[in-house]
Amino acid sequence: MKPDARSDIRHVSDAELVVQALRGSERAFGEIVRRYQDLLYRHAERMTGRRDDAEDVVQSAFIKAHRNLRKCRDPERVGAWLFRIGANACKDFLKSQRTTVPVEKMPGLVATDGDPEREAELGSVRNEIEQALRSLPVEQREAFLMKHVEGWSYTEMSETLDVSVPALKMRVHRAREELQVLLQSYGS
Amino acid sequence: MDSRLQAYLDGDLPLEGLPAELRARAEEWDGLLEEIRVTAPAGAPLGLDTRVLAALEADRASAQPGWLVWLLRPRMVPVPPAAVLAAAAAIILVLGLVGLPGGGAIAESRIYVQFVVDAPAAETVHLVGDFTEWQPTVELEDADGDGVWSGRVPLLPGVHEYMFVIDGADWITDPNAAGYQHDGFGQQNAIVAVSTLNGT
Repeated sequence: MKPDARSDIRHVSDAELVVQALRGSERAFGEIVRRYQDLLYRHAERMTGRRDDAEDVVQSAFIKAHRNLRKCRDPERVGAWLFRIGANACKDFLKSQRTTVPVEKMPGLVATDGDPEREAELGSVRNEIEQALRSLPVEQREAFLMKHVEGWSYTEMSETLDVSVPALKMRVHRAREELQVLLQSYGS
Repeated sequence: MDSRLQAYLDGDLPLEGLPAELRARAEEWDGLLEEIRVTAPAGAPLGLDTRVLAALEADRASAQPGWLVWLLRPRMVPVPPAAVLAAAAAIILVLGLVGLPGGGAIAESRIYVQFVVDAPAAETVHLVGDFTEWQPTVELEDADGDGVWSGRVPLLPGVHEYMFVIDGADWITDPNAAGYQHDGFGQQNAIVAVSTLNGT
């Protein structure tokens, strides 16, 4: 039988998935999860620095999104809405952990306080990057990752985080200032 | 850090726009940023979606009964001062309308309710609810800057669900609501009950 593209949920638009999910379709919300879990997870792992924490944060973000789906004002941009929920979940998690360490207090950027399994699987460059990112204040880290890892424009960041473009530029600039130590290490 | 280098890294200035002494530095940054990108996790670990959907199923299973069951369940509910004031205002308004023959149908059917929330750090506070179709169309005011935001909204008689949106981002439940309502997925919305003078 010829596959009917209309019945393949992978071809359904984000907006239609939101409508179907609001009508109770678990399959539709499952597709939303599959579409955006990578985006949320990448951000969460770089923000938290730990895989298991990132998974917990992403899970809690999707549950919150599911509970509040009717409050998604622009279903066509449900991805940005989900990212915002995920980003806020990261910040809430980090506030509860308070693990930020000033970069100048980290001896040689060597990981000493992380999960041993996690550290073992990281290469030295990646390890240094993880540690340097974790040294950044949370809002700087968030802005830096959105700009330079996810490749968002400042306008997109502003619309998603509801923070002005100049304020976001300032956060990214300050993050780069902090990360210059990494550049010295990387270039050596 | 040189502002021209920051502008280049922001995408506001081409590499050719930098003086020669900054170009090498810019290329070092490009290399570092590429390294940061390629060492980022490619995506979610296998099975995360299954885990999330299982958690959603468990969340649904633990959800409270619907609003009608909640509404009909006998219980004591705390009534904050703001609610008393709102009720008093509503009674006064209804009394006034009853005593005014020929009042408009719309005016007769709606009752003004005062919403108050303490949010000293907020820059904006919006009221959203079923009566705004959950759109932030009602902005509360803090005229004296004391961090207490308030606004009066005409509501039809009945039970309404609402929340406050702080700075356009954070949805919070009114801690002083007369009641709370699960929306079917375990989320708590605040409840305000608006009734006419005869209690119907």
